[in-house]
Amino acid sequence: MERKTLVTRSMVALILISIAMVVSPAVNSLPTGVGGTGIQSSGCNCHSAVPTATVDITVDGLPEEYNASETYTVTVSFSGGPVESGINSGGFNLWASGGEFSVLDATVESRAPAEVTHTEAGNDYRTWTVEWIAPSHGRDVDFIVHVNSVNGDGANSGDEWNRYDLTVAGSLGPGLDPADPFTVLATLIIISGLLLTITILYGFYRTNPDVFDWEHLAPWIADWLTTTDHKKIGTLYFVQGLFFLGVGGILAMMIRLQLAGPDMGFISQDQYNSFFTLHGTTMIFLAAMPLINGFANWIVPLQIGAPDLALPRINALSFWLQPFAALLIFTGVFSGQGADTGWTGYAPYIVSTGAHTGVTMWVAGQIMLVASSTLTGINFLTTMAVMRAEGMGWMQMPLFTWSILVANLMLFLSIPAFGVGLIQVYLDRTISTAFYDIAAGGDPLLWSHLFWYFGHPEVYVVIVPAFGVISEVLATSARRSIFGYKSMVLAMAGIGIVAFIVYGHHMFTSGMSPNLRFITMLTTMLVAVPTGVKIFNWLKTLHGGSLVYRTHTLWALGFLVTFTLGGISGMFFPSITMDAHLHETYFVVAHFHYVLVGGTVFGFFAAIYYWYPKMTGRMLDEKLGTLHFLTAFVTYNGIFWPMHRLGVIGMPRRTHTYFITTEDFTALPEWAADWNMFISVCAFLFFFSNFILVANMLISLVRGQKAPADPWGGWSFEWMTASPPPTPSFDWNNLPVLKDANEHIANEPSAIGRWFNRLMVPEDQEEVSH
Amino acid sequence: MGLITPLYDDLWNEYVLWSALVGLFTFGWLYHHSFYYTAKEGETPNIDNLEVGVFPKEYDNLKLEFAWFIAPLMLIIYLTFISWAPLDNLWSAASSEDGGHYGNECAAGESSNLMFNDDTGLYEADCYEVFGITGYQWYWEFDCFDLSEDLCAVSTTTIEGKDQPLISLKANTAYLAVMDSNDVTHAPWFVSLGIKEDVLPQQTTTQWVLADNVENFLLLCTEYCGDDHAYMIAGVSVHA
Repeated sequence: MERKTLVTRSMVALILISIAMVVSPAVNSLPTGVGGTGIQSSGCNCHSAVPTATVDITVDGLPEEYNASETYTVTVSFSGGPVESGINSGGFNLWASGGEFSVLDATVESRAPAEVTHTEAGNDYRTWTVEWIAPSHGRDVDFIVHVNSVNGDGANSGDEWNRYDLTVAGSLGPGLDPADPFTVLATLIIISGLLLTITILYGFYRTNPDVFDWEHLAPWIADWLTTTDHKKIGTLYFVQGLFFLGVGGILAMMIRLQLAGPDMGFISQDQYNSFFTLHGTTMIFLAAMPLINGFANWIVPLQIGAPDLALPRINALSFWLQPFAALLIFTGVFSGQGADTGWTGYAPYIVSTGAHTGVTMWVAGQIMLVASSTLTGINFLTTMAVMRAEGMGWMQMPLFTWSILVANLMLFLSIPAFGVGLIQVYLDRTISTAFYDIAAGGDPLLWSHLFWYFGHPEVYVVIVPAFGVISEVLATSARRSIFGYKSMVLAMAGIGIVAFIVYGHHMFTSGMSPNLRFITMLTTMLVAVPTGVKIFNWLKTLHGGSLVYRTHTLWALGFLVTFTLGGISGMFFPSITMDAHLHETYFVVAHFHYVLVGGTVFGFFAAIYYWYPKMTGRMLDEKLGTLHFLTAFVTYNGIFWPMHRLGVIGMPRRTHTYFITTEDFTALPEWAADWNMFISVCAFLFFFSNFILVANMLISLVRGQKAPADPWGGWSFEWMTASPPPTPSFDWNNLPVLKDANEHIANEPSAIGRWFNRLMVPEDQEEVSH
Repeated sequence: MGLITPLYDDLWNEYVLWSALVGLFTFGWLYHHSFYYTAKEGETPNIDNLEVGVFPKEYDNLKLEFAWFIAPLMLIIYLTFISWAPLDNLWSAASSEDGGHYGNECAAGESSNLMFNDDTGLYEADCYEVFGITGYQWYWEFDCFDLSEDLCAVSTTTIEGKDQPLISLKANTAYLAVMDSNDVTHAPWFVSLGIKEDVLPQQTTTQWVLADNVENFLLLCTEYCGDDHAYMIAGVSVHA
């Protein structure tokens, strides 16, 4: 053969092989059986390009309509195709859309609960028998059978195959088509928005039913949009925070649906990654932070005897940045490209082309939130520094106000680092700078440092205000003054300081210097000291008290249980060796939900029941409140307690599925799937239990008993004003003066206070201007 | 209840014990006070004479406050101390000259003889083998370098209906995994061995893989890396 002809034929052969490799889907055809994701769509095309009609498939043993959970013996056989040789005669793959197959002999093996195929031994037959356990749901079940009629020569040529589809009816028919999760999410968000709008309109209607028209509604809306009153802005923060608490909850429910069983197909991986990213971002930045700001706006000026915040317009700007930031953060969802980086947004993935396009808007929204939080920090610190009532020194401030001061100081000192990181990422994603471009020398660990320098204090920013709430609620409920006021303040300040030197424990497996990891292990352990002081002080406050059980008392006691459990589980992570196993598992998920839900959210619930009468002038219903506590507390623990064990046995977080042990590989035990189902059921119950609170708030707003100025017998200034308080909250010309039951120390500046006062310009002197 | 590996079983058990003690103490206290110091039905006594607009009389006890400052401090110092020892298993130096207790890299034909010393709580070996791991979106690539097939072999296996890489290792052998990433950050988690460490692009990280038991288990990715993160898995087969 001529060389030219040889080269030409070789080229043609290579091209044909290349085309075949590209066109041929990933189907495995092995002596040990056929399977793979492509077989359902493309068939056994390695045996032949197209199916052969003369290969006649028979499926015996399936009923026309199945009985739920009944077992049927099913025989798959075929005739036609190449002559049967007795060795390597054929193979099959049987897939069902429901139920489970059970293998009866060595000729068949299971590929998945609802998929079986032949084994190497089964390759010598053309008839196979299995058992099918019908599903319990009663819907129609589809079956797809593929068979290979093989000539036994060991090669694929001359083989033939065919496909056979059948449906077995269920008592409930075909059922509904599965819903697109994005459609479900968008619908639920829109319904939530509509319900919120109706509630707001109803609120307007209740203010004066006789003037329910646009001419009165427009100025009413304009008043809310332009208000600078701290109480109204506080209410706006509440509305936003509760709305996004619901949205974050919806996202959590969709995540739990996906994880209710292994290998569920409710959401795709892509959607799952977006949903857990938005769940974290929403809950931290759009729900928890606004709720804190809602309480801080409402209560701090009232507690320190100030008519408003020091910078009311800045306060309004801080709020209005939030809904627009939320719109940016959610922009990607409605285009199907929601941010998919996790709330931690690790580099370099966050700047990679693989990340969703929605990440850019997500980052832009976060930058706006950084601006909002910074302005809020300036405002509250200024207010507390200059607007405290006469007689209220730093060490006479109510503990809730102290908690807001510590939280804002932490935020003020940490959030610039996050802002810098976000701007770098934004520039990398938009104008191709190279802060995190590895090829250009970018450093992914820089982002981790910037993020966690902010991220860990941020967790304390969210929990410390709850400490303040619990201090107020427990002391008032026990009819006592708080035990160890000074050590409570020092403990909060201690937490605020320690927060900045522990963040490295989030990076124990990051490749960070071992020396730094070791130092961080020591510092992280220290967190237990101030938090321990706080818990023991709360308990001692109850000693000798006279606890009056109200709903806010129940939530405060519940907080003590769940937060202590969260604190204990938190002590496992600083131990680096155990962290090497527990990092990024469900043990972590359990821990931070015990702290952030059992701590922060339970603290907020206590605060709502405690201060709602002050804010609205109406008492909440105690029976509904108790029902809310009992249902939410039990179901909450049902969600997060089992997650500890799941994490220990090897269930990773942020994954769309989980793997159960098979004959070949050890993974999670089968009972892990049962616990996941239990968790999902509890999650739905917990989600719906919180509607009792919403209903209670709405019903009480209309029909609740009128609240007195001081329904619980508290001592701080907010209980001095009417319920609800007037605007301005205190008369500028008649500001309250704090008395002190400890007269011997009242109004005596400490040594630090005296030193600080020397730095200040005396009030009777004017500053010299140059 | 032990953790998943003897690497820090004792540590885990001691942590669980102390957690139970702290929990019993705190919840016992809470339970008692919640039901003992309660108001009678319909009464709201004012124990400390709380009054609106008056900072309450301070209620404290320096000795008690100091006690529950010191008690958690002592406990965490102790927990830090006992957390120290297993670190030697994770961070042992890669040469015996530097104090590493897995010796030096094995010469051809030399046996690692990995064993767990119950007395010291440490793994010890005469020498160690080296293999490589590289993370890609979204699969793992193993490199056995020049190790014999008995010590390290790479193939594929089917897990959950998909072809996945499989690495076969020899039991009772200490391995040093030298790791990097081709794209974004990943983290190989040898679940049954209880160890993980991030792999980063253009940066080499290492971790000791102490293959002591004969078993087949999964290696998962535990640093979120994008679309197929959940399915970025591999099989690990430790044979006799």
